[in-house]
Amino acid sequence: MGLVIQTQNLSRTFKTYEKPEGFAASLRGFWNRKYVEKTALAPTTLTIESGQIIGLVGANGAGKTTLLKLLSGLIHPTSGEAQVLGYKPWERNNQFLRRMSILLGQKNQLWWDISPLDSFALLAEIYDLDRTIAKKRVQELAELLDCVHVLKTQLRRLSLGERMKMEIIGSLLHEPDVLFLDEPTIGLDIVAQSTIRKFLADYVKSKGPTVILTSHYMDDIAKLADRLLLISKGSIVYDGTVSQFVSQAELAQKVSFGLPDPLTHDVPLLGEFVLGAGAQTFSLQVPTHQLAPVLSKVTALENVTDLKIEEADFEDVIRTFLEKESRVLSTGRDLKS
Amino acid sequence: MISNLEYRLNFFTDAVIQPFLTALIELTLWIAIFATASSDTIGGFTKDFYLAYALWTAFVGRITASWMYEFRMLEEIDSGSINGLLVRPMSFFEYYLSQLMGYKAITSILSLLVPLLLIQVFKLPTELSRIPMALLLITYYLVLVHSMSFVITSLGFHFNRIYSITTAKNLGLWLLSGELIPLDLLPSPYREWLLMLPFSSAVYVPVAYITGRAGSELLVQGFVSITWGLAFFGVLGFFMWRWGLRKYVGTGA
Repeated sequence: MGLVIQTQNLSRTFKTYEKPEGFAASLRGFWNRKYVEKTALAPTTLTIESGQIIGLVGANGAGKTTLLKLLSGLIHPTSGEAQVLGYKPWERNNQFLRRMSILLGQKNQLWWDISPLDSFALLAEIYDLDRTIAKKRVQELAELLDCVHVLKTQLRRLSLGERMKMEIIGSLLHEPDVLFLDEPTIGLDIVAQSTIRKFLADYVKSKGPTVILTSHYMDDIAKLADRLLLISKGSIVYDGTVSQFVSQAELAQKVSFGLPDPLTHDVPLLGEFVLGAGAQTFSLQVPTHQLAPVLSKVTALENVTDLKIEEADFEDVIRTFLEKESRVLSTGRDLKS
Repeated sequence: MISNLEYRLNFFTDAVIQPFLTALIELTLWIAIFATASSDTIGGFTKDFYLAYALWTAFVGRITASWMYEFRMLEEIDSGSINGLLVRPMSFFEYYLSQLMGYKAITSILSLLVPLLLIQVFKLPTELSRIPMALLLITYYLVLVHSMSFVITSLGFHFNRIYSITTAKNLGLWLLSGELIPLDLLPSPYREWLLMLPFSSAVYVPVAYITGRAGSELLVQGFVSITWGLAFFGVLGFFMWRWGLRKYVGTGA
Protein backbone atom coordinates (compact mmCIF):
# COMPACT_ATOMS: atom_id res chain seq x y z
CA MET A 1 0.00 0.00 0.00
CA GLY A 2 1.37 3.42 -0.98
CA LEU A 3 1.40 6.53 1.13
CA VAL A 4 -1.52 8.83 0.36
CA ILE A 5 -1.01 11.48 3.01
CA GLN A 6 2.29 12.70 4.41
CA THR A 7 2.90 15.68 6.66
CA GLN A 8 6.15 17.05 8.00
CA ASN A 9 5.95 19.41 10.98
CA LEU A 10 2.67 20.77 9.65
CA SER A 11 1.35 23.51 11.91
CA ARG A 12 -1.17 26.30 11.99
CA THR A 13 -1.67 29.19 14.35
CA PHE A 14 -4.55 31.68 14.31
CA LYS A 15 -4.44 35.31 15.38
CA THR A 16 -7.65 36.49 16.95
CA TYR A 17 -8.85 39.90 18.12
CA GLU A 18 -9.62 40.01 21.83
CA LYS A 19 -12.19 42.64 22.65
CA PRO A 20 -12.93 43.67 26.20
CA GLU A 21 -16.56 44.28 27.13
CA GLY A 22 -18.33 47.58 26.53
CA PHE A 23 -18.81 50.56 24.25
CA ALA A 24 -15.62 52.36 25.32
CA ALA A 25 -13.58 49.26 24.46
CA SER A 26 -15.24 49.17 21.02
CA LEU A 27 -14.15 52.77 20.41
CA ARG A 28 -10.62 52.05 21.65
CA GLY A 29 -10.56 49.12 19.24
CA PHE A 30 -10.42 51.59 16.33
CA TRP A 31 -6.78 52.37 17.08
CA ASN A 32 -5.67 49.90 19.69
CA ARG A 33 -6.48 46.24 19.25
CA LYS A 34 -5.15 43.37 21.26
CA TYR A 35 -4.52 40.17 19.36
CA VAL A 36 -3.90 36.72 20.73
CA GLU A 37 -2.11 34.03 18.78
CA LYS A 38 -3.34 30.49 19.34
CA THR A 39 -1.82 27.27 18.16
CA ALA A 40 -4.56 25.22 16.53
CA LEU A 41 -2.16 22.57 15.28
CA ALA A 42 1.31 22.06 16.70
CA PRO A 43 4.00 20.75 14.30
CA THR A 44 2.62 17.39 13.22
CA THR A 45 4.30 14.64 11.27
CA LEU A 46 2.25 11.69 10.12
CA THR A 47 1.80 9.27 7.26
CA ILE A 48 -1.37 7.56 6.11
CA GLU A 49 -1.46 4.63 3.74
CA SER A 50 -3.89 4.08 0.93
CA GLY A 51 -7.20 2.51 1.91
CA GLN A 52 -6.89 3.21 5.64
CA ILE A 53 -9.79 4.56 7.65
CA ILE A 54 -8.48 6.95 10.27
CA GLY A 55 -10.58 7.96 13.25
CA LEU A 56 -9.49 11.43 14.38
CA VAL A 57 -10.67 12.09 17.92
CA GLY A 58 -10.22 15.02 20.26
CA ALA A 59 -12.06 17.54 22.39
CA ASN A 60 -13.63 20.64 20.85
CA GLY A 61 -10.85 22.95 19.71
CA ALA A 62 -8.21 20.23 19.88
CA GLY A 63 -7.21 20.74 16.24
CA LYS A 64 -9.10 18.01 14.37
CA THR A 65 -10.90 20.27 11.93
CA THR A 66 -7.79 22.42 11.44
CA LEU A 67 -5.90 19.30 10.35
CA LEU A 68 -8.70 18.39 7.93
CA LYS A 69 -8.84 21.93 6.57
CA LEU A 70 -5.09 21.86 5.94
CA LEU A 71 -5.15 18.45 4.27
CA SER A 72 -8.08 19.39 2.06
CA GLY A 73 -6.44 22.67 1.01
CA LEU A 74 -8.98 25.01 2.57
CA ILE A 75 -6.32 26.86 4.53
CA HIS A 76 -2.59 27.44 4.31
CA PRO A 77 -0.25 26.20 7.05
CA THR A 78 1.81 28.50 9.23
CA SER A 79 4.76 26.16 8.77
CA GLY A 80 5.60 22.66 7.61
CA GLU A 81 4.76 20.61 4.56
CA ALA A 82 2.05 18.21 3.47
CA GLN A 83 1.45 16.00 0.45
CA VAL A 84 -1.95 14.48 -0.27
CA LEU A 85 -2.09 12.21 -3.33
CA GLY A 86 1.24 13.77 -4.30
CA TYR A 87 -0.08 17.35 -4.26
CA LYS A 88 0.38 20.27 -1.89
CA PRO A 89 -3.26 20.66 -0.83
CA TRP A 90 -3.33 24.44 -0.42
CA GLU A 91 -2.15 24.94 -4.00
CA ARG A 92 -5.64 23.63 -4.84
CA ASN A 93 -4.60 21.94 -8.07
CA ASN A 94 -7.72 20.86 -9.97
CA GLN A 95 -6.36 17.33 -10.43
CA PHE A 96 -6.04 17.04 -6.65
CA LEU A 97 -9.50 18.51 -6.01
CA ARG A 98 -11.04 16.01 -8.45
CA ARG A 99 -9.63 13.13 -6.42
CA MET A 100 -10.62 14.19 -2.93
CA SER A 101 -13.73 15.21 -1.09
CA ILE A 102 -14.47 16.82 2.24
CA LEU A 103 -17.77 16.61 4.05
CA LEU A 104 -18.26 19.21 6.73
CA GLY A 105 -21.11 17.98 8.89
CA GLN A 106 -21.81 21.42 10.33
CA LYS A 107 -21.86 23.19 6.98
CA ASN A 108 -24.07 22.87 3.92
CA GLN A 109 -22.02 22.35 0.79
CA LEU A 110 -24.90 21.76 -1.59
CA TRP A 111 -27.03 24.62 -2.84
CA TRP A 112 -29.66 25.65 -0.32
CA ASP A 113 -32.26 27.01 -2.73
CA ILE A 114 -32.42 24.24 -5.29
CA SER A 115 -33.24 20.54 -5.26
CA PRO A 116 -30.50 17.97 -4.65
CA LEU A 117 -30.98 16.69 -8.21
CA ASP A 118 -30.11 20.15 -9.57
CA SER A 119 -27.14 20.31 -7.20
CA PHE A 120 -25.88 16.91 -8.35
CA ALA A 121 -26.27 17.89 -12.02
CA LEU A 122 -24.15 20.97 -11.29
CA LEU A 123 -21.57 18.87 -9.46
CA ALA A 124 -21.43 16.47 -12.40
CA GLU A 125 -20.54 19.45 -14.62
CA ILE A 126 -17.95 20.73 -12.16
CA TYR A 127 -16.26 17.32 -11.95
CA ASP A 128 -16.62 16.66 -15.71
CA LEU A 129 -18.64 13.51 -15.10
CA ASP A 130 -20.67 11.81 -17.77
CA ARG A 131 -24.28 12.92 -17.14
CA THR A 132 -25.78 9.46 -17.57
CA ILE A 133 -23.23 7.83 -15.30
CA ALA A 134 -23.66 10.60 -12.70
CA LYS A 135 -27.44 10.20 -12.71
CA LYS A 136 -27.10 6.46 -12.28
CA ARG A 137 -24.67 6.94 -9.41
CA VAL A 138 -27.00 9.40 -7.67
CA GLN A 139 -29.82 6.90 -7.97
CA GLU A 140 -27.69 4.06 -6.55
CA LEU A 141 -26.40 6.10 -3.63
CA ALA A 142 -29.87 7.47 -2.86
CA GLU A 143 -31.30 3.96 -2.82
CA LEU A 144 -28.58 2.78 -0.44
CA LEU A 145 -29.30 5.73 1.83
CA ASP A 146 -33.06 5.31 1.45
CA CYS A 147 -33.66 8.89 0.35
CA VAL A 148 -34.81 8.69 -3.29
CA HIS A 149 -38.11 10.36 -2.36
CA VAL A 150 -36.46 13.69 -1.41
CA LEU A 151 -34.18 14.15 -4.42
CA LYS A 152 -36.54 16.65 -6.06
CA THR A 153 -37.30 18.68 -2.92
CA GLN A 154 -35.52 21.99 -2.25
CA LEU A 155 -32.60 21.34 0.11
CA ARG A 156 -33.83 23.98 2.56
CA ARG A 157 -37.04 22.01 3.09
CA LEU A 158 -35.31 18.78 4.11
CA SER A 159 -34.72 17.52 7.64
CA LEU A 160 -31.20 17.49 9.05
CA GLY A 161 -30.84 13.76 8.47
CA GLU A 162 -32.07 14.00 4.88
CA ARG A 163 -29.76 16.94 4.20
CA MET A 164 -26.80 14.99 5.54
CA LYS A 165 -27.63 12.08 3.25
CA MET A 166 -27.72 14.51 0.31
CA GLU A 167 -24.36 15.97 1.37
CA ILE A 168 -22.91 12.47 1.48
CA ILE A 169 -24.15 11.72 -2.04
CA GLY A 170 -22.68 15.03 -3.21
CA SER A 171 -19.31 14.25 -1.68
CA LEU A 172 -19.15 10.74 -3.16
CA LEU A 173 -20.51 11.49 -6.62
CA HIS A 174 -17.05 11.73 -8.20
CA GLU A 175 -15.76 8.66 -6.30
CA PRO A 176 -12.89 10.38 -4.47
CA ASP A 177 -9.67 8.56 -3.59
CA VAL A 178 -9.40 10.49 -0.33
CA LEU A 179 -12.40 11.36 1.78
CA PHE A 180 -12.38 13.74 4.74
CA LEU A 181 -15.48 13.33 6.90
CA ASP A 182 -15.87 15.95 9.60
CA GLU A 183 -18.70 14.98 11.96
CA PRO A 184 -20.91 13.27 9.36
CA THR A 185 -23.46 12.16 11.96
CA ILE A 186 -23.57 15.26 14.15
CA GLY A 187 -27.02 16.15 15.45
CA LEU A 188 -28.70 13.13 13.87
CA ASP A 189 -31.04 10.74 15.64
CA ILE A 190 -29.93 7.21 16.43
CA VAL A 191 -31.63 5.68 13.38
CA ALA A 192 -30.08 8.17 10.96
CA GLN A 193 -26.67 7.78 12.62
CA SER A 194 -26.87 4.04 12.24
CA THR A 195 -28.01 4.24 8.57
CA ILE A 196 -25.16 6.57 7.67
CA ARG A 197 -22.63 4.52 9.62
CA LYS A 198 -23.69 1.33 7.84
CA PHE A 199 -23.69 3.09 4.48
CA LEU A 200 -20.17 4.46 5.02
CA ALA A 201 -18.88 1.06 6.14
CA ASP A 202 -20.32 -0.62 3.01
CA TYR A 203 -19.10 2.17 0.73
CA VAL A 204 -15.56 2.07 2.08
CA LYS A 205 -15.49 -1.71 1.79
CA SER A 206 -16.60 -1.64 -1.85
CA LYS A 207 -14.70 1.43 -3.15
CA GLY A 208 -11.68 1.44 -0.81
CA PRO A 209 -10.97 5.19 -0.46
CA THR A 210 -8.63 6.53 2.20
CA VAL A 211 -10.80 8.12 4.87
CA ILE A 212 -10.14 10.49 7.73
CA LEU A 213 -13.17 10.66 9.98
CA THR A 214 -13.83 12.92 12.93
CA SER A 215 -16.83 12.35 15.13
CA HIS A 216 -18.06 13.00 18.62
CA TYR A 217 -19.91 9.69 18.49
CA MET A 218 -17.41 7.06 19.47
CA ASP A 219 -19.54 4.37 17.87
CA ASP A 220 -18.67 5.93 14.50
CA ILE A 221 -14.98 5.62 15.27
CA ALA A 222 -15.13 2.18 16.91
CA LYS A 223 -17.14 0.66 14.07
CA LEU A 224 -15.47 2.34 11.09
CA ALA A 225 -11.88 3.20 11.91
CA ASP A 226 -8.98 0.81 11.62
CA ARG A 227 -6.54 3.38 12.99
CA LEU A 228 -7.07 5.91 15.75
CA LEU A 229 -5.42 9.33 16.03
CA LEU A 230 -6.04 11.15 19.29
CA ILE A 231 -5.40 14.84 19.15
CA SER A 232 -5.10 17.12 22.12
CA LYS A 233 -4.11 20.80 22.36
CA GLY A 234 -3.09 20.71 18.70
CA SER A 235 -0.81 17.67 19.04
CA ILE A 236 -1.30 14.02 18.16
CA VAL A 237 -1.01 12.17 21.46
CA TYR A 238 -1.95 8.67 20.34
CA ASP A 239 -1.55 6.83 17.04
CA GLY A 240 -2.60 3.19 16.95
CA THR A 241 -5.62 0.93 16.74
CA VAL A 242 -8.81 1.34 18.74
CA SER A 243 -8.31 -2.00 20.51
CA GLN A 244 -4.71 -1.16 21.43
CA PHE A 245 -5.86 2.17 22.85
CA VAL A 246 -8.49 0.56 25.02
CA SER A 247 -6.07 -2.07 26.25
CA GLN A 248 -3.35 0.50 27.03
CA ALA A 249 -5.68 2.91 28.78
CA GLU A 250 -6.01 2.74 32.52
CA LEU A 251 -9.01 0.46 32.60
CA ALA A 252 -11.89 1.61 34.65
CA GLN A 253 -15.05 -0.15 35.74
CA LYS A 254 -18.38 1.58 35.76
CA VAL A 255 -20.03 1.18 39.18
CA SER A 256 -23.64 2.32 39.29
CA PHE A 257 -26.20 2.11 42.10
CA GLY A 258 -29.15 3.85 43.69
CA LEU A 259 -30.35 4.81 47.15
CA PRO A 260 -33.95 4.90 48.41
CA ASP A 261 -33.72 8.64 49.27
CA PRO A 262 -31.56 11.57 48.09
CA LEU A 263 -28.47 12.17 50.24
CA THR A 264 -28.78 14.99 52.75
CA HIS A 265 -25.04 15.67 52.79
CA ASP A 266 -21.84 14.78 50.86
CA VAL A 267 -20.61 11.26 51.57
CA PRO A 268 -16.89 10.67 50.97
CA LEU A 269 -16.17 7.15 49.74
CA LEU A 270 -12.50 6.93 48.92
CA GLY A 271 -10.04 9.53 47.69
CA GLU A 272 -11.64 11.51 44.84
CA PHE A 273 -14.90 9.56 45.02
CA VAL A 274 -17.52 11.60 46.86
CA LEU A 275 -21.30 11.08 46.65
CA GLY A 276 -22.86 14.52 46.31
CA ALA A 277 -25.68 15.78 48.52
CA GLY A 278 -29.10 15.72 46.85
CA ALA A 279 -28.32 12.84 44.46
CA GLN A 280 -30.10 9.51 44.56
CA THR A 281 -28.48 7.56 41.67
CA PHE A 282 -24.74 7.33 41.08
CA SER A 283 -22.36 6.24 38.32
CA LEU A 284 -18.64 6.10 39.09
CA GLN A 285 -15.67 5.32 36.81
CA VAL A 286 -13.44 3.38 39.18
CA PRO A 287 -9.91 2.28 38.23
CA THR A 288 -9.51 -1.48 38.57
CA HIS A 289 -7.06 -1.25 41.47
CA GLN A 290 -9.55 0.83 43.50
CA LEU A 291 -12.58 -1.31 42.70
CA ALA A 292 -12.50 -3.50 45.83
CA PRO A 293 -12.20 -0.69 48.44
CA VAL A 294 -14.82 1.46 46.63
CA LEU A 295 -17.23 -1.47 46.44
CA SER A 296 -16.82 -2.22 50.13
CA LYS A 297 -17.66 1.41 50.94
CA VAL A 298 -20.70 1.35 48.63
CA THR A 299 -22.10 -1.89 50.03
CA ALA A 300 -21.63 -0.47 53.53
CA LEU A 301 -24.24 2.18 52.69
CA GLU A 302 -27.76 1.35 53.82
CA ASN A 303 -30.32 -0.10 51.38
CA VAL A 304 -28.22 0.16 48.22
CA THR A 305 -30.30 -0.78 45.14
CA ASP A 306 -29.54 -1.70 41.51
CA LEU A 307 -25.83 -2.16 42.10
CA LYS A 308 -24.11 -2.86 38.76
CA ILE A 309 -20.49 -3.22 37.72
CA GLU A 310 -19.74 -2.87 34.00
CA GLU A 311 -16.55 -3.09 31.96
CA ALA A 312 -15.62 0.35 30.57
CA ASP A 313 -16.15 0.54 26.79
CA PHE A 314 -14.31 2.57 24.13
CA GLU A 315 -16.57 5.56 24.63
CA ASP A 316 -15.93 5.57 28.39
CA VAL A 317 -12.19 5.38 27.86
CA ILE A 318 -12.24 8.22 25.34
CA ARG A 319 -14.48 10.31 27.58
CA THR A 320 -12.08 9.85 30.48
CA PHE A 321 -9.19 10.76 28.21
CA LEU A 322 -10.91 13.91 26.94
CA GLU A 323 -11.93 14.98 30.42
CA LYS A 324 -8.32 14.79 31.50
CA GLU A 325 -7.16 16.91 28.59
CA SER A 326 -7.41 20.65 29.00
CA ARG A 327 -9.67 22.37 26.51
CA VAL A 328 -7.36 25.39 26.36
CA LEU A 329 -5.29 25.16 23.19
CA SER A 330 -2.34 27.16 24.38
CA THR A 331 -1.55 29.91 26.81
CA GLY A 332 -1.53 32.34 23.90
CA ARG A 333 0.95 35.05 23.17
CA ASP A 334 -0.15 38.66 23.32
CA LEU A 335 0.44 40.66 20.19
CA LYS A 336 -0.12 44.31 19.53
CA SER A 337 -1.69 45.39 16.27
CA MET B 1 -28.59 31.25 -11.49
CA ILE B 2 -31.28 28.59 -11.14
CA SER B 3 -31.61 29.58 -7.48
CA ASN B 4 -32.77 33.08 -8.45
CA LEU B 5 -35.56 31.65 -10.57
CA GLU B 6 -36.82 29.56 -7.64
CA TYR B 7 -38.33 32.67 -6.10
CA ARG B 8 -40.77 34.03 -8.68
CA LEU B 9 -41.94 37.16 -6.87
CA ASN B 10 -38.41 38.32 -6.15
CA PHE B 11 -37.36 37.65 -9.72
CA PHE B 12 -40.33 39.53 -11.20
CA THR B 13 -39.76 42.49 -8.88
CA ASP B 14 -36.07 42.65 -9.74
CA ALA B 15 -36.50 42.20 -13.48
CA VAL B 16 -39.57 44.33 -14.13
CA ILE B 17 -40.97 46.32 -11.21
CA GLN B 18 -37.73 47.89 -9.97
CA PRO B 19 -36.56 49.16 -13.39
CA PHE B 20 -40.09 50.32 -14.15
CA LEU B 21 -40.15 52.40 -10.96
CA THR B 22 -36.69 53.79 -11.68
CA ALA B 23 -37.84 54.81 -15.16
CA LEU B 24 -40.91 56.50 -13.69
CA ILE B 25 -38.77 58.52 -11.27
CA GLU B 26 -36.29 59.58 -13.97
CA LEU B 27 -39.04 60.50 -16.43
CA THR B 28 -40.83 62.57 -13.80
CA LEU B 29 -37.59 64.39 -13.01
CA TRP B 30 -36.88 65.34 -16.64
CA ILE B 31 -40.50 66.32 -17.30
CA ALA B 32 -40.30 68.63 -14.26
CA ILE B 33 -36.98 70.11 -15.41
CA PHE B 34 -38.32 70.88 -18.89
CA ALA B 35 -41.58 72.27 -17.49
CA THR B 36 -39.62 75.02 -15.76
CA ALA B 37 -36.80 75.41 -18.30
CA SER B 38 -36.50 78.66 -20.24
CA SER B 39 -35.47 76.89 -23.44
CA ASP B 40 -36.77 73.92 -25.46
CA THR B 41 -33.31 72.34 -25.39
CA ILE B 42 -30.73 71.57 -22.71
CA GLY B 43 -27.18 70.99 -23.85
CA GLY B 44 -28.42 70.96 -27.42
CA PHE B 45 -30.98 68.15 -26.93
CA THR B 46 -34.78 68.37 -26.77
CA LYS B 47 -37.07 67.00 -24.10
CA ASP B 48 -37.72 63.82 -26.10
CA PHE B 49 -34.02 62.98 -26.11
CA TYR B 50 -33.89 63.32 -22.34
CA LEU B 51 -37.00 61.22 -21.86
CA ALA B 52 -35.54 58.54 -24.11
CA TYR B 53 -32.25 58.78 -22.20
CA ALA B 54 -34.06 58.50 -18.86
CA LEU B 55 -36.10 55.55 -20.03
CA TRP B 56 -33.14 53.57 -21.38
CA THR B 57 -30.91 54.55 -18.45
CA ALA B 58 -33.31 53.01 -15.98
CA PHE B 59 -33.12 49.65 -17.70
CA VAL B 60 -29.49 49.63 -18.80
CA GLY B 61 -28.43 50.83 -15.33
CA ARG B 62 -30.29 47.90 -13.77
CA ILE B 63 -28.51 45.46 -16.03
CA THR B 64 -25.01 46.80 -15.42
CA ALA B 65 -25.36 47.23 -11.64
CA SER B 66 -24.22 44.25 -9.64
CA TRP B 67 -24.76 44.54 -5.93
CA MET B 68 -26.64 41.26 -5.44
CA TYR B 69 -23.86 38.93 -6.53
CA GLU B 70 -21.21 41.04 -4.82
CA PHE B 71 -23.15 40.76 -1.54
CA ARG B 72 -23.42 37.02 -2.07
CA MET B 73 -19.72 36.63 -2.75
CA LEU B 74 -18.87 38.58 0.40
CA GLU B 75 -21.42 36.55 2.34
CA GLU B 76 -19.75 33.32 1.18
CA ILE B 77 -16.51 34.44 2.84
CA ASP B 78 -18.18 35.91 5.93
CA SER B 79 -20.20 32.79 6.64
CA GLY B 80 -17.60 30.26 5.48
CA SER B 81 -19.94 28.78 2.89
CA ILE B 82 -17.11 29.43 0.43
CA ASN B 83 -15.49 26.28 1.88
CA GLY B 84 -17.87 24.20 -0.22
CA LEU B 85 -16.62 25.96 -3.36
CA LEU B 86 -12.92 26.08 -2.57
CA VAL B 87 -12.71 22.30 -2.28
CA ARG B 88 -14.18 21.77 -5.74
CA PRO B 89 -12.21 21.83 -9.01
CA MET B 90 -13.62 25.16 -10.13
CA SER B 91 -12.82 28.84 -10.20
CA PHE B 92 -14.73 31.09 -7.80
CA PHE B 93 -14.43 33.94 -10.31
CA GLU B 94 -15.89 31.90 -13.17
CA TYR B 95 -18.54 30.33 -10.97
CA TYR B 96 -19.98 33.71 -10.04
CA LEU B 97 -19.39 35.22 -13.49
CA SER B 98 -21.49 32.48 -15.06
CA GLN B 99 -24.23 33.06 -12.48
CA LEU B 100 -24.14 36.82 -13.08
CA MET B 101 -24.24 36.45 -16.86
CA GLY B 102 -27.00 33.87 -16.78
CA TYR B 103 -29.18 35.94 -14.50
CA LYS B 104 -28.52 39.17 -16.39
CA ALA B 105 -29.33 37.49 -19.71
CA ILE B 106 -32.74 36.39 -18.50
CA THR B 107 -33.62 39.61 -16.65
CA SER B 108 -32.42 41.71 -19.60
CA ILE B 109 -34.71 39.95 -22.07
CA LEU B 110 -37.65 40.59 -19.80
CA SER B 111 -36.81 44.10 -18.69
CA LEU B 112 -35.90 45.39 -22.15
CA LEU B 113 -39.41 44.71 -23.36
CA VAL B 114 -40.65 47.65 -21.30
CA PRO B 115 -38.54 50.46 -22.88
CA LEU B 116 -39.04 48.91 -26.32
CA LEU B 117 -42.77 49.17 -25.79
CA LEU B 118 -42.73 52.66 -24.26
CA ILE B 119 -40.58 54.25 -26.99
CA GLN B 120 -43.10 53.04 -29.55
CA VAL B 121 -46.03 54.40 -27.55
CA PHE B 122 -44.45 57.83 -26.82
CA LYS B 123 -42.48 58.05 -30.08
CA LEU B 124 -39.18 58.70 -28.32
CA PRO B 125 -35.92 58.82 -30.29
CA THR B 126 -34.26 55.40 -30.43
CA GLU B 127 -32.18 53.77 -33.15
CA LEU B 128 -33.27 50.16 -32.93
CA SER B 129 -30.51 48.92 -35.25
CA ARG B 130 -27.94 50.08 -32.68
CA ILE B 131 -29.34 47.99 -29.85
CA PRO B 132 -27.37 44.76 -30.59
CA MET B 133 -23.98 46.55 -30.50
CA ALA B 134 -24.98 48.43 -27.36
CA LEU B 135 -25.95 45.12 -25.72
CA LEU B 136 -22.59 43.69 -26.71
CA LEU B 137 -20.85 46.60 -24.97
CA ILE B 138 -23.05 46.10 -21.91
CA THR B 139 -22.17 42.38 -21.82
CA TYR B 140 -18.47 43.21 -22.04
CA TYR B 141 -18.89 45.78 -19.28
CA LEU B 142 -20.48 43.11 -17.06
CA VAL B 143 -17.17 41.22 -17.10
CA LEU B 144 -15.53 44.39 -15.79
CA VAL B 145 -18.26 44.80 -13.17
CA HIS B 146 -17.60 41.28 -12.00
CA SER B 147 -13.84 41.88 -11.92
CA MET B 148 -14.42 44.87 -9.63
CA SER B 149 -16.70 42.76 -7.46
CA PHE B 150 -13.98 40.12 -7.27
CA VAL B 151 -11.48 42.70 -5.98
CA ILE B 152 -13.91 43.90 -3.30
CA THR B 153 -14.78 40.30 -2.41
CA SER B 154 -11.07 39.55 -1.91
CA LEU B 155 -11.05 42.20 0.82
CA GLY B 156 -13.56 40.01 2.64
CA PHE B 157 -10.72 37.66 3.60
CA HIS B 158 -9.17 40.46 5.66
CA PHE B 159 -12.22 42.39 6.88
CA ASN B 160 -15.65 41.17 7.97
CA ARG B 161 -18.95 42.78 7.05
CA ILE B 162 -17.74 45.18 4.37
CA TYR B 163 -21.03 45.40 2.49
CA SER B 164 -20.88 49.19 2.85
CA ILE B 165 -17.98 49.22 0.35
CA THR B 166 -20.33 47.77 -2.27
CA THR B 167 -22.89 50.46 -1.52
CA ALA B 168 -20.25 53.22 -1.69
CA LYS B 169 -18.86 51.83 -4.96
CA ASN B 170 -22.31 51.72 -6.53
CA LEU B 171 -22.98 55.32 -5.47
CA GLY B 172 -19.73 56.36 -7.14
CA LEU B 173 -20.64 54.45 -10.29
CA TRP B 174 -24.07 56.09 -10.28
CA LEU B 175 -22.33 59.37 -11.00
CA LEU B 176 -19.40 58.08 -13.10
CA SER B 177 -21.59 55.97 -15.36
CA GLY B 178 -23.92 58.79 -16.34
CA GLU B 179 -26.92 57.20 -14.69
CA LEU B 180 -27.55 60.30 -12.59
CA ILE B 181 -27.17 62.81 -15.43
CA PRO B 182 -25.98 62.44 -19.03
CA LEU B 183 -22.21 62.90 -19.07
CA ASP B 184 -22.42 65.27 -22.05
CA LEU B 185 -23.97 67.85 -19.73
CA LEU B 186 -20.78 68.04 -17.66
CA PRO B 187 -18.30 70.84 -18.41
CA SER B 188 -15.03 70.15 -20.14
CA PRO B 189 -12.52 68.68 -19.20
CA TYR B 190 -14.52 66.56 -16.69
CA ARG B 191 -16.72 65.24 -19.47
CA GLU B 192 -13.69 64.00 -21.46
CA TRP B 193 -12.08 62.50 -18.36
CA LEU B 194 -15.21 60.59 -17.41
CA LEU B 195 -15.70 59.38 -20.97
CA MET B 196 -12.18 57.96 -20.94
CA LEU B 197 -12.96 55.89 -17.86
CA PRO B 198 -14.53 52.47 -18.47
CA PHE B 199 -17.41 53.22 -16.08
CA SER B 200 -19.12 55.46 -18.67
CA SER B 201 -19.76 52.26 -20.65
CA ALA B 202 -22.14 51.12 -17.92
CA VAL B 203 -24.87 53.59 -18.90
CA TYR B 204 -23.89 56.73 -20.77
CA VAL B 205 -22.10 55.22 -23.76
CA PRO B 206 -24.67 52.52 -24.66
CA VAL B 207 -27.67 54.77 -23.93
CA ALA B 208 -26.23 57.76 -25.80
CA TYR B 209 -25.48 55.42 -28.72
CA ILE B 210 -29.01 53.91 -28.73
CA THR B 211 -30.74 57.27 -28.41
CA GLY B 212 -28.59 58.96 -31.05
CA ARG B 213 -26.74 61.37 -28.74
CA ALA B 214 -23.40 59.83 -29.76
CA GLY B 215 -21.92 57.95 -32.68
CA SER B 216 -20.04 54.68 -33.08
CA GLU B 217 -16.66 56.27 -32.26
CA LEU B 218 -17.81 56.57 -28.64
CA LEU B 219 -18.85 52.92 -28.68
CA VAL B 220 -15.39 51.88 -29.89
CA GLN B 221 -13.83 54.05 -27.17
CA GLY B 222 -16.06 52.21 -24.70
CA PHE B 223 -14.73 48.81 -25.77
CA VAL B 224 -11.15 50.07 -25.50
CA SER B 225 -11.58 51.62 -22.06
CA ILE B 226 -13.29 48.46 -20.73
CA THR B 227 -10.32 46.42 -21.97
CA TRP B 228 -7.93 48.65 -20.00
CA GLY B 229 -10.19 48.37 -16.97
CA LEU B 230 -10.29 44.60 -17.27
CA ALA B 231 -6.50 44.43 -17.42
CA PHE B 232 -6.20 46.60 -14.32
CA PHE B 233 -8.87 44.96 -12.17
CA GLY B 234 -7.98 41.49 -13.49
CA VAL B 235 -4.37 41.71 -12.32
CA LEU B 236 -5.38 43.40 -9.05
CA GLY B 237 -8.03 40.75 -8.38
CA PHE B 238 -5.66 37.88 -9.16
CA PHE B 239 -3.11 38.98 -6.57
CA MET B 240 -5.64 40.08 -3.97
CA TRP B 241 -7.44 36.73 -4.19
CA ARG B 242 -4.20 34.79 -3.73
CA TRP B 243 -3.26 37.01 -0.80
CA GLY B 244 -6.72 36.57 0.68
CA LEU B 245 -6.61 32.79 0.44
CA ARG B 246 -3.34 32.76 2.37
CA LYS B 247 -5.09 34.64 5.17
CA TYR B 248 -8.31 32.65 5.08
CA VAL B 249 -9.10 30.68 8.23
CA GLY B 250 -11.82 28.38 6.88
CA THR B 251 -14.57 30.12 8.83
CA GLY B 252 -17.26 28.06 10.46
CA ALA B 253 -16.06 24.59 9.55
